[in-house]
Amino acid sequence: MKYSIPKFWRRKEGYYQIILTKCRECGKVAFFTYVRCPYCGSSNVELVKSCGRGVVEEFTISYNRVEEGEEYLPKIIAIVRLNEGVRVVGELVDIDLSEVKEGVEVEAVLRRFSSDDPHGLIYYGLKFAPVIKGA
Amino acid sequence: MEVSEVYVINSALIKIDRHFNKGYKELANEVVSEVISKSGIESIDLVVVSNMLSDCILDQLDISTILMQNLGMTKVRTLRVETGESSGLAALEAAWMAIKSGAAENVLVIGVEKVTEYPTYKINKVYGKVLDYEVEFIRNITPPDYAALVMKAYLKKYGLKREDLIMWPVKMHDNACRNAYAQLSFGITPEKVLTSMVISDPIHLLDTFPLGDGAAALLLTSGKAVSNVAAEPVKVVYVDSAVSAQFHLREDLTRLPATAVLASRLKEKFGDKVFTEAAIELHDSYSIYAYIILEELGLAERGKAYEIVSELEFVNVSGGLKARGHPFGATGVYQVAELHKLVTEGFAGRKFDGKYAIAHSMSGPDYNARVALLQKLA
Ligand SMILES: [Zn+2]
Repeated sequence: MKYSIPKFWRRKEGYYQIILTKCRECGKVAFFTYVRCPYCGSSNVELVKSCGRGVVEEFTISYNRVEEGEEYLPKIIAIVRLNEGVRVVGELVDIDLSEVKEGVEVEAVLRRFSSDDPHGLIYYGLKFAPVIKGA
Repeated sequence: MEVSEVYVINSALIKIDRHFNKGYKELANEVVSEVISKSGIESIDLVVVSNMLSDCILDQLDISTILMQNLGMTKVRTLRVETGESSGLAALEAAWMAIKSGAAENVLVIGVEKVTEYPTYKINKVYGKVLDYEVEFIRNITPPDYAALVMKAYLKKYGLKREDLIMWPVKMHDNACRNAYAQLSFGITPEKVLTSMVISDPIHLLDTFPLGDGAAALLLTSGKAVSNVAAEPVKVVYVDSAVSAQFHLREDLTRLPATAVLASRLKEKFGDKVFTEAAIELHDSYSIYAYIILEELGLAERGKAYEIVSELEFVNVSGGLKARGHPFGATGVYQVAELHKLVTEGFAGRKFDGKYAIAHSMSGPDYNARVALLQKLA
């Protein structure tokens, strides 16, 4: 078993949709579900759902070989500016390496991250894919 | 209450290498034996062991206890310190606080890391755990990916070309040629940097550190005990550390926030020239970080660090993480051992007579940063 099941289950909300932590003290918003505001430390926070869409601000094409991650290489790691104005770093999929550029509109999609082969669990999470125009 | 002063009275290190024939116990024993012999210290109150990966790589918890059992030092206080890649300086921080507080007089700091027990791709995996497991690691983000994004942001902000940032590794390899303890003691050409394998574009293999095993040790003592020892003591004036925000929460990727906080705190306490008057070992895990660290410490103007690389005489005399090597938990201890030698007997063919020596270390993209300020007694 590569991953803890409770660990995944507990965070499923944040792994299957983009959840933002909004601070009622300082007003800042951050990607991911934090127990306190990562900017000011206040516990007066609420979790809000992101629309899951944004724009690629920066990216790297990575060949860094990591155990059990080889099948996903090369991978694209991008900084996405969500429509809510918040930055998130994530993997970019369903796009040719030659077509990746700043400004590409993307949306969060559910994809496989890993699995306990051959009979174990499959772990899903969010990656980003280009928005299909007209879809 | 009077606080004790803290001194390094001896240091030891081994060549960083793929020591396939030796385990962490043998590596640690070599530096412990050397650092204690001829030190004039008769009893040690505390041993602080720095190690980053024992849980993942050595299948060993409580490595400080097991190490003491194996070194026949069962009556001593001991603890392990782990703060990712900066663990070595964190161990010094703990030792420094113990002596400052009066809780200990003689403290042994050991940094040891054994990474060649497994192939590189396995070490790459566990190394990624210096990032937030739930937010970053599990979503396939690795440390070189962040270094690549920082480098791209830096090039964009200052209108530079990738080729402008190739001299750091060349300089580090050149320095390492004079360091008998360096893992990569050979020269490289600027062309070689860009023709080496791409790790995370635009970071190439020669922008980053090699994997190797290492061990280093420091013997520290209080002001009370220092007069009894023969060696040339070097004062540990100050040790500080800070934490910075996670990567995706940073708007300006060309800054290293924790390092910036430490730089301003050190300048406030010891004067604006503290870094310019010092020999420095800094944490160049990826060459882009070296340029930004130079800027955060005030040694270069923003966006212009690449222009002064060739002039840096006493920065990373060891060859840095790039060429000396980066045996994770041992690295900070290496830095301090190298600086201790540099200001006393000389190191890597050089001797430094200036006022201060400063070690800078960090983990991941500056998730935590640490500095240690050393001063040779006049
Ligand atoms: Zn807040």
